[in-house]
Amino acid sequence: MESHVVPGARFVDPKILSRIRNLELLARTVVEGFINGLHRAPYFGASIDFAEHRGYVPGDDIRRVDWRLFARTDKFYVKQYEADTNANFMVLFDISKSMSFGSHAVTKIEYASYVAACLAYLAHRQRDRVGIVTFDQDIVNYVPPSAKHFNVLLHTLDRAKPERPGRMLAPLDKIAEHFKRKSLVALISDFYENPDDVLEALKPYRFHGNDVVVFHVLDPAEIDFPYTDASRFEDLESGEEIPVIPSSFADEYRKMIKEHIEKLTTKFSEARIDYVLLNTSKPLDEALFTYLGTRERMMKVR
Amino acid sequence: MSFLAPLFFIGLAAIAVPILVHLIQRERKEVIHFPSLMFLRKIPYQSVERRRIHNWLLLALRAAAMLLLIAAFSRPFLTHATEKGLVATSGAREVVILLDHSASMGYADHWTRAKDEARKVVQGLGAEDKGTLVLFGTGPEERVRSTSDKSQIEVALNEATVTSDATRYAPALRYAQTKLSQSQLPRKEVVLISDFQKSGWERQEDIRLPEGATLAPISVADLETADLAISSATLARASFTGEERVTLTVGLTNRSSSAMANVPVKLEIDGREVGAKTVNVEANASASVTFPPFTAADNQRAVVRAGSDKWAANNSFFIAVSPSRPISMLTVQRDGGTTSPCGPECPSFYLNTALSLSKSPPFKIDVLGASRVAASNLTGRSVVVLYDVGALSTEFDAALQRFVQEGGGLFIVLAERTPWSAGESPILPGKLGTFVDRPIGHDGTLGFLDYSHPIFEQFKDPRQGSFANARFFRYRALTPAPTDRILARYDDGGAAMVERRVGTGRVIAFTSTLDEGGGWNDFPKRAMFPPLAVLVGQYLAQYAEPTAWYTVGRNLDVSSPLAALVRAGTASDPQGAARKPSGVISSPAGQQVTIGEGGVPAVALDEQGFYSVRMQGTGDRRPFQVAVNLEPSESDLSSLQPAEFAKSVTGRAAVTTTGQSLEHPDLTPEDIEKKQSIWWFLLMGGVLALLTESALSNRLSQRFGTGFLQMNRQ
Repeated sequence: MESHVVPGARFVDPKILSRIRNLELLARTVVEGFINGLHRAPYFGASIDFAEHRGYVPGDDIRRVDWRLFARTDKFYVKQYEADTNANFMVLFDISKSMSFGSHAVTKIEYASYVAACLAYLAHRQRDRVGIVTFDQDIVNYVPPSAKHFNVLLHTLDRAKPERPGRMLAPLDKIAEHFKRKSLVALISDFYENPDDVLEALKPYRFHGNDVVVFHVLDPAEIDFPYTDASRFEDLESGEEIPVIPSSFADEYRKMIKEHIEKLTTKFSEARIDYVLLNTSKPLDEALFTYLGTRERMMKVR
Repeated sequence: MSFLAPLFFIGLAAIAVPILVHLIQRERKEVIHFPSLMFLRKIPYQSVERRRIHNWLLLALRAAAMLLLIAAFSRPFLTHATEKGLVATSGAREVVILLDHSASMGYADHWTRAKDEARKVVQGLGAEDKGTLVLFGTGPEERVRSTSDKSQIEVALNEATVTSDATRYAPALRYAQTKLSQSQLPRKEVVLISDFQKSGWERQEDIRLPEGATLAPISVADLETADLAISSATLARASFTGEERVTLTVGLTNRSSSAMANVPVKLEIDGREVGAKTVNVEANASASVTFPPFTAADNQRAVVRAGSDKWAANNSFFIAVSPSRPISMLTVQRDGGTTSPCGPECPSFYLNTALSLSKSPPFKIDVLGASRVAASNLTGRSVVVLYDVGALSTEFDAALQRFVQEGGGLFIVLAERTPWSAGESPILPGKLGTFVDRPIGHDGTLGFLDYSHPIFEQFKDPRQGSFANARFFRYRALTPAPTDRILARYDDGGAAMVERRVGTGRVIAFTSTLDEGGGWNDFPKRAMFPPLAVLVGQYLAQYAEPTAWYTVGRNLDVSSPLAALVRAGTASDPQGAARKPSGVISSPAGQQVTIGEGGVPAVALDEQGFYSVRMQGTGDRRPFQVAVNLEPSESDLSSLQPAEFAKSVTGRAAVTTTGQSLEHPDLTPEDIEKKQSIWWFLLMGGVLALLTESALSNRLSQRFGTGFLQMNRQ
């Protein structure tokens, strides 16, 4: 049996997940399996963990008064709990044509869908409001964040078909206008853009105080470039064709994609944006961990 | 090498195709869909013509397949000219002349013609050529070592004569092979002049002439031969009024296609004709002639002569005739009991009875009491038996030691008494000890027998009987010296029978009785006892069937005439003069050679006729005669085809002395090509290369193709 670092990670193997067509079932399977492997509860927000007492002030809900303490002290105190606020969770989902690429059982857009579904499920379980924006060179679908929109989100993911070339700046600029409330934003894309342009597109989100997590989805063939025969390569988005001799191109290509990733990592780090590179041949646990880390940091409020 | 269709070589240009394919790196027809050419677009595109070759093995296989197929279609064949091309056609020659001087070359004018042919070859030698003359029969004899001096070779040729040897080609060819491989001259030739007797060549002989050497066979054989040969002789012996009468029968073979009538066959004894008959022999058949019996005397020379034909040597047959003598044995036993004739109360009764059963050879046994025996009683004896005797007289003891030293046999039966009070003697195989009694209920048996010894050799097969049932209750302990050979042991490890070699004689001691008087054992009553007693007697007497004749090529050593002296009971000189195992042998041509001590150990019998051997100390006795005849197979004159013979030796066609091929001179190139069918092998090689190429390229495609197809999945 294949061993995994995280117990329960067998539930997040993309090859296995590709056989599950129902995204909700998939998300539940992944998340529950993932959670079962952890030793502490990851839920925040509607917490039941007691934090401290404070003096009653008019306007407080009298149901939160600690009557036992009143009986002992003859004073009114109300109980305070940790993180009892709910947040918005917004997925910015790239459905440009390049996301349709896949060199093995799972394409990039499928993998990205699993990630988005799992993250949304986690957020939904925490009673966060979930929403999604799919975009290519423009906004394709917009589902505003709501506690009731989980199923709509899954439906949107299911319907997402990569058909057009993608341009990140314009659609993200447009979406940023709709973010009135502080949110956790997850941007899932393959980032075939200039890193500076990407960062420019995400600046408004940081400016409004949103927490941004970036998931860079790449196929192993895009990283390793395993081709050997001289062939014509066609750009999925533009349809442009060029002759390629892999034996002479491969090393150069690998070097360039590595530099691209490093540059993205540096730029996002400077902008205090969490960056996660996802290889579609690897399990989903990395994405989930990153999300949980960000969510925890964001929700440490009383 | 030539080609029937050389135009196909234009197709060699096709070899460029796989090379170009490998260089060009043809792009795949399918287009690979890639997410973005954002990075690939930035890499400068290199011209495809400058690509290097990636898979040398594939390229080599494709080119080899092309080459083989084209070569197959061009229909290649090897010509004799090309074969000769392997051979240098100019420059000095190293010529080895192998001239057969075996007995069969004495047939008709074969020898004269053979010498004439050899002279022609010698005359054909150039100023820089070198010639070697080798005469051969059974083995090669180099008469003239590699020289440019033709006169030297011609002188040797004039002196050469026919011998009595059989024909053996292989040793001579191996000799020529060695000579040629040592030569530095560019052209190497062997000229074989012979009658090419079939009997002289075994096809499995491994002869490898040096690369480029040629073999030119010159046959002097006649197509039709007519020859009568005496091929065998048998002697039937019968006793008549105390003398031995011998009846001689000879076999004659007619090796010709016509019958021979009234062939006179004569028998001469010591040069005097004692019988003459005529016989008719059918074509390619045999007949026999039996002469009236004659009285055998020591070392007679018998010669049978039959007819007269083109080859006289095999019309004579030589036989040495001697009467077959009984083995003379003297048994010395303890005093008391009967002596000759030995009755049941005689101690050595069982032994003598067992020996008397032998008819070929018979034993002549005299029995004497120990007190009555004298040195003179040893005269004419082959074997002496000391049967449980006490002390011997000093004179007899010394005579007995001398008797053994000079080749006599001694059998000592050790029981109650001891001939030598100290328990030791130069002729006793070991040191005598006390009596050994086996416990009651634990009877001894013979636990070990040396089956490699001539006495026990024929009992090796369990079906020949077993000594295991003989019971031994008592024996004399005997400790053999390291040089003695233990022939049998009891089951407790004690020596039962021990042999010692003394001079040219043999001594065997048996450590228990051979009678039932003392109750020491029950061996004499067992079935295995008589044959063992006879074999011991024959061994000690050094008995061997007298050889009436040998064939040419055998060796004669001193043991043959010596054994004859022992058989005759004259090994010991009654006057006590020392006799050494040495003598002088005279060949039929009159050459004398000393054999044995102070001379050669053996003499090769390489002449037909009688060899006379006179052993030292035999006085005026007639010398020992050795008859030598031609090897029977030498009389078979049927011959090989010289060309076939040369081909089987060299693996190539034979050539004449002028270098012309003797094989298929009129074949057309088409016939030669069809016969060789080289194209078939080339075609198979090409197909094999293509199959390998397919397998290899499929494997390479599978290795890289799977990922490629998946990458294009949408």
